Amino acid sequence: MLEVNNISVNYGAAPALWDVSLQVQPGELVCVVGPNGAGKTTLINAIAGMHRVRAGSLRFNGRDITALASHRFCEAGIAIVPEGRRLFTQMTVLDNLELGSFIASAKVHRKASLAHVLSLFPVLKVKLDSPAGSLSGGQQQMVAIGRALMARPGLLLLDEPSLGLAPLIVMDMFRIIRQINAQGTSVLLVEQNVAMAMELAKRAYVMEEGRIVAQGEASELLTRPEIQKAYLGLEMHE
Amino acid sequence: MSFPSFNLLAQSILSGIFIGGLYGLIGLGLGLTWGLLRQINLAHFGLVFLAAYMSYHMATVWHVDPLLTLLILPPLFFLFGVGMQWVLSRFSISPFNSLLVTFGITVVMESVIQAIWTADFRRLETHYNDQKFTIGSLYIPVPELVTLVVAVSLSLLIWAAMRYTDLGKALRAMAEDGPIAAAFGINQKGMSLMLAGICAALAAVAGICLALTFTLTPSQIFAWVGVVFAAVMLGGLGSALGPLVAGIIIGVSEAITMAVAAPSWAPIVSFSLLIVMLLFRPGKL
Amino acid sequence: MNKTVIGILAAGALLASVPWLGVPAFYESFLYLLCHWMILALSWNILSGYSGYFSFGHGAFFGIGMYTSAGLAANLNWPFLWTLPAAALLAALLGMALGAVVFRVKSVRGELFALLTLAITFVVGTIVLNTRIDGGPGIYLNSVAIPAIGPTASSSIYLMALLGAVATLLISYRIQASRLGMGLFAIHDDEDVAEVMGVPTFRYKLLAFGISCALAGLAGGIHALFVSYVTAGETFTIVVPLTVVLMSVLGGTRHWAGPAVGAVAITCLMYFFTAGNNPIAGKAAVGVILVLVILFMPNGILGYFLKRTAGKRSVPPALAAQAAAAPEAAPAPAASGKVLLDVQNLSKAFKGVQALDGVSLQVHEGEILGLLGPNGSGKSTFINVVSGHFPATGGQMFFEGRQLAGLEAHSIAQAGIARTYQIPRPFAHLTVLQNVALVAMFGGAALNHEQATQEAWKWLEFTGLQDKADALPDDLNLHQRKFLELTRALASRPRLVLLDEVLSGLTPGEINEAIALIRKIRDRGATIVFVEHVMRAVMALADRVAVLNYGKLIAVGPAQEVMQNSEVVSAYLGTPHA
Repeated sequence: MLEVNNISVNYGAAPALWDVSLQVQPGELVCVVGPNGAGKTTLINAIAGMHRVRAGSLRFNGRDITALASHRFCEAGIAIVPEGRRLFTQMTVLDNLELGSFIASAKVHRKASLAHVLSLFPVLKVKLDSPAGSLSGGQQQMVAIGRALMARPGLLLLDEPSLGLAPLIVMDMFRIIRQINAQGTSVLLVEQNVAMAMELAKRAYVMEEGRIVAQGEASELLTRPEIQKAYLGLEMHE
Repeated sequence: MSFPSFNLLAQSILSGIFIGGLYGLIGLGLGLTWGLLRQINLAHFGLVFLAAYMSYHMATVWHVDPLLTLLILPPLFFLFGVGMQWVLSRFSISPFNSLLVTFGITVVMESVIQAIWTADFRRLETHYNDQKFTIGSLYIPVPELVTLVVAVSLSLLIWAAMRYTDLGKALRAMAEDGPIAAAFGINQKGMSLMLAGICAALAAVAGICLALTFTLTPSQIFAWVGVVFAAVMLGGLGSALGPLVAGIIIGVSEAITMAVAAPSWAPIVSFSLLIVMLLFRPGKL
Repeated sequence: MNKTVIGILAAGALLASVPWLGVPAFYESFLYLLCHWMILALSWNILSGYSGYFSFGHGAFFGIGMYTSAGLAANLNWPFLWTLPAAALLAALLGMALGAVVFRVKSVRGELFALLTLAITFVVGTIVLNTRIDGGPGIYLNSVAIPAIGPTASSSIYLMALLGAVATLLISYRIQASRLGMGLFAIHDDEDVAEVMGVPTFRYKLLAFGISCALAGLAGGIHALFVSYVTAGETFTIVVPLTVVLMSVLGGTRHWAGPAVGAVAITCLMYFFTAGNNPIAGKAAVGVILVLVILFMPNGILGYFLKRTAGKRSVPPALAAQAAAAPEAAPAPAASGKVLLDVQNLSKAFKGVQALDGVSLQVHEGEILGLLGPNGSGKSTFINVVSGHFPATGGQMFFEGRQLAGLEAHSIAQAGIARTYQIPRPFAHLTVLQNVALVAMFGGAALNHEQATQEAWKWLEFTGLQDKADALPDDLNLHQRKFLELTRALASRPRLVLLDEVLSGLTPGEINEAIALIRKIRDRGATIVFVEHVMRAVMALADRVAVLNYGKLIAVGPAQEVMQNSEVVSAYLGTPHA
């Protein structure tokens, strides 16, 4: 479904990603982990069209989307839950959700999508008219996910959804993400919290310093020395 | 300072409300581009005056009813606004430099106006001028009333559009976080062009109202700058109702000052308010 | 007395001879106008062009000067020449009083400062009009005795203005070459960083504003005599500020002579147009020129031509001096164990977020301490608070025994603490060399201009950037920009260096270079605290590490030990839920 082929992305003048390739098959839940500064956010932003790709290509559902204008990525079927939520804080929760379905193809189904989102996050029902900035961190994350779902995407991108959230809320969040994936949406998840990410995903990629350094089944990656080294700087001598 | 009669005071307050409405109407477009596009568009004033002179011309020379010009000029100015924005967006200009560039454009417009219509005072004389209502002992002149009605309705209309329509929300989202808005399908370039066009159309409406209520002379363009800026800043950038409310407050304060003290003290009101706002509530902007 | 000063004085002397050449009075008037606008534009530029605080209120101080002179001369019968210093002084005092209030408000910059100063113009004008200062009818100066400096009245006025213009040119030139000028240019590019690098921003802005207003007042005083009839309506308008902005921007705001060039250009243009058949076309042309200049020559005429002819490269100090190779440093202490930085219970809260929560940490002299923690744990905030970029909301910080909390950032810099920014924030309009020299001038070492430049060269060689000395930061790649940050931090010869993610974004080879450099820096006698994510660098460099999580310090000690601490491991990798 999603093919990232050897992309290189610059952050300003500096290279942030080198020669990165990954795939997401339809219906999969794939994880990208790595320490801070590894380039995970740059990668997700590039896939969402928020960042120019300097070399390589992006293909989605067989279509080359590398050169598309930023605002066309949503139509193509990709929606993002960005790092730090980035809600439209001055607007109400309902406005934020409705804006998620701004594109024509999603607008038609707005009512149904809204009902679906509220069934996933019932606590938002009473918050619909509150300004988005007034919600707690966990609730804001729900709105951010809801906003992306309103776009009825084929692929949902999540950038560090657990950031700044209490562990219990994170568990809840991940349960819902699993549910979303089960309902048919492919998911690409970037996380710093390795342990939890590995529980969620079947397949994972490990990034360090702008490159992919390991990939494979989640369960066996956790024991690999690359992760110990990337995160803790420890060379594990077996 | 002599305290005026109740009647005089009431009439002053009324005229303050009327002129405040005009301040708000002129400020509406200015505030929208400043708040949503981060451009300080001094050329807005040039557009207002251009529209004022054009409606004067159409009414006086071509005998078109001024209210009919309301149907002709705004669409024309919409196109002009889009065009101007399109040209300016080819250059990346900082908000401050947009102030300077648009000042230059305004100077050019002033010159064009002066070249066509000379620096003589021009007054749009219509049958509306002499019409007034009376409520008790208060006079309500029709042109001023029309201006106020237009100001209030347009402000409400824009406010409602920004609040309730998809496009309005998209604009607000774009102003807050452009890249994320784009990630959800909002086309920044197109939106900016549309907004610029709408604000130019609003300038046209304001110009027509100006022509109905005031005598025109090209040098007057800059006299309005200070007061309208004050209204926009006090009312809040990007707000639809703010400039109107602030404009009326300023207008009324000015009117009361004029009635109670000497007329020449009037400018101090708006500018002092502006200074106070800037120093003590800059967060509001 | 260098060549430029002599040149200015010579030109001035030459022009001063005009009244005795027997030319028609018209030429004197024209030259008067040139001098008049030169004073106004140059003085405006001292604050607004150099520091970026564009003031639209120059007309207010010009008007204050005008009314002071007019009032004193016509109403109080002062000898005219004495009214001029009074005009300048009053304008300066009022300007500095305004500045004392406004410059303290952090958010009034850019457009807001412009609008505020515009509002001041109208307020002052209204006050003048309505009180006894003017009262309405204006002030006539026909009966004021014109000082007999030249053969005729008009030539005397011209000579006064000429003197003013020469003085203003010299002042403008001297400031640009001085510490004040460098500080103002730094403020222009990034005021917050300038403050952290040691520039006393408030004091400098106030000083520049005072000088600017004084000269405007002077110009106003002279002009009162020229027009001989002063009214509020003509004086306190938008005309003076806008013309002055136009002249300076056209000529080039970064050069001491730019506004003078612009003043001459515009005055001549206006003359041709008003004297010609089409004054209206003239006005339109001025507008068009302004638009074109902003769009295509944002650096002004002088800026544009100077860039074309640039090529003069900075000369490195003579090889003999270079033989001393490494910059003088404090003798390298062994990790002496003495506490250099003592942080007690430090807290910092932003709106609702507790970024630092009761952090207590001691940094020992001569050590390299790694500051680690997952995203959002408060590491950058720690650096920001210690360097004075943000004020703490609780707790104390002692550096070499001195209390740091409450000090302004530039004082902290001068005490010997330097920092780098995670995303490099160089002064965009200054060259690499100037960026580094600036810190040498304002940091703990407080050198003069020449010494600072030499010092800068030595540090550029130390970090390997000497070939890029004349480049602008925009021309550097990320690696070089990060090294520039580093060089800047070192140029003030700090005792404590705070590095914020210096290595992120670098290639493995560049990282190795950086690691070696950081070691060299410690060997020269600095103590280093660095925030980093590149773990192998941490392992290679750090004597000790401290780990933050959610704003709290959770572990501190030797690296290998700390990284195996279970709390640290779970902070990074997360805990699986059972």
